[in-house]
Amino acid sequence: MVQISPSFKIESETIDEDHRHLVEIINEITKAIDDGQPQECARLVPDFVAFSKQHFDREEALLAGLSYPLLEKHRRHHISLDDKLQTMLNLAARVVDHPPARDSLRKELVFFLLDDVINEDLNFKKFLAEVETGAPNDTGASGPDK
Amino acid sequence: MQGLHIHGIHHAYGDTDVLNNVSLTVPAGELVCLLGPSGCGKTTLLRIAAGLEKLQAGSISIDETVVAEPGSELPPEDRKIGFMFQDYALFPHLTIRANVSFGLFRQSKQAADARAMEMLEQVGLTRHADDYPHMLSGGQQQRVALARALAPAPRLVLLDEPFSGLDSTMRARIRQETLTMLKQTNVATLMVTHDPREAMFMSDRIKVMGANGQVLQSGRPVDIYYKPVDEYVARLFGPVNIIEGPVTDGKVETSFGPVISDEIPDGEIMRVLIRLEGLSLHNSSARKGDIPVDVLSAHLLGDSSIVHIRMREGANKGVEYRARVQGSFDPAANGQLWARVDPRCIFQYPDTEDGR
Repeated sequence: MVQISPSFKIESETIDEDHRHLVEIINEITKAIDDGQPQECARLVPDFVAFSKQHFDREEALLAGLSYPLLEKHRRHHISLDDKLQTMLNLAARVVDHPPARDSLRKELVFFLLDDVINEDLNFKKFLAEVETGAPNDTGASGPDK
Repeated sequence: MQGLHIHGIHHAYGDTDVLNNVSLTVPAGELVCLLGPSGCGKTTLLRIAAGLEKLQAGSISIDETVVAEPGSELPPEDRKIGFMFQDYALFPHLTIRANVSFGLFRQSKQAADARAMEMLEQVGLTRHADDYPHMLSGGQQQRVALARALAPAPRLVLLDEPFSGLDSTMRARIRQETLTMLKQTNVATLMVTHDPREAMFMSDRIKVMGANGQVLQSGRPVDIYYKPVDEYVARLFGPVNIIEGPVTDGKVETSFGPVISDEIPDGEIMRVLIRLEGLSLHNSSARKGDIPVDVLSAHLLGDSSIVHIRMREGANKGVEYRARVQGSFDPAANGQLWARVDPRCIFQYPDTEDGR
């Protein structure tokens, strides 16, 4: 089971709630595979992909509303994840007939959420905290925009 | 989350940035590889994770415990990390058993010896327990290094170019054994290498690092190989044929047909890259688009051959390319052939000075 530890919290209710829901879907997918019902992936993985895209839209709208200075970079990162979302859909279509695809799908979901989504979102955690407290911020992120 | 979580690492030596906002996650049981050339900062990141280098910015957690953040760092011996280096780093004056039990100083001697023998059994070296490192081959020494790294049941294993001191036959064998053991122990593993084949073989996920200390691309080996984000990443995985040309009516003309560039403005110069293994050679033209070529020479590399070919006709008549084919290739018996391109092995990027 995937669990979000405190180090992965963004401290934004909207975004953390989205991340929690993505974790829930991943855990449902994992359970379906472990319970011998990989056919459930045909429903769950498209849900995960659709919710991921909604999350990206919500996040970009939130950051735009707060004039996040590195929004464009973050938006480009979201666009770069399209291929990975498509990979998940491709794997989901194969999990019933190709058992090795199940492990690949599980890995891809976990890496996608933890490494590609949350780890990148942590870049604006400091910015959100500063907006909330009214403290000035410099670049608005925990790393420079290169 | 069980495993390694690194976030926002910046590191500089004087005015020179060596790591630039690097973040990564290695779930327990997975192996992530940092791939890049010398000087890209990958070993520095490994040393920071190990606690051998002082953290300047960012944070590191292992199994949900923060082991390093600015102003607060656990010493290396308290991070529960196993190390495996290129030079094995075995103590020459200690027996193999003593080398493996070296990190078990918190256990009684009896328990440490028992654990060391258990690990040596797993790597097939129990009969060498009382030998010294110089009595073992390079491959055996590397197995000892693996046994020592895993003996304390670490939460994280760090591998720094672990197989580069071995000859190619032994390297293939030892890396397979290492991968099997790492997967059996379900430990998170972070490895650095400059060898793309090694990275592809070992990794669940590869992070390609550039000379500026940034992660350029992150993904499954198959995605990095077939969907490189730029020319730099594409060329990390071996030689390529390069065709330069302007975009005209949404495409770039090449010797092997047009390459669609419909999102690029007309007139922009593009570089089209074709992997050598993306060109296959055939005795006859079986498909539309097969290109007649003359074979100039071939060089056997063992499991494959590099074949030099030349366009036989058309606007690009006389232009030369290279192809990689399986096994040996006799140019004398294959003077005139047909070349075919695997579309998965064609990439195009804007013409920039640094390939980025």
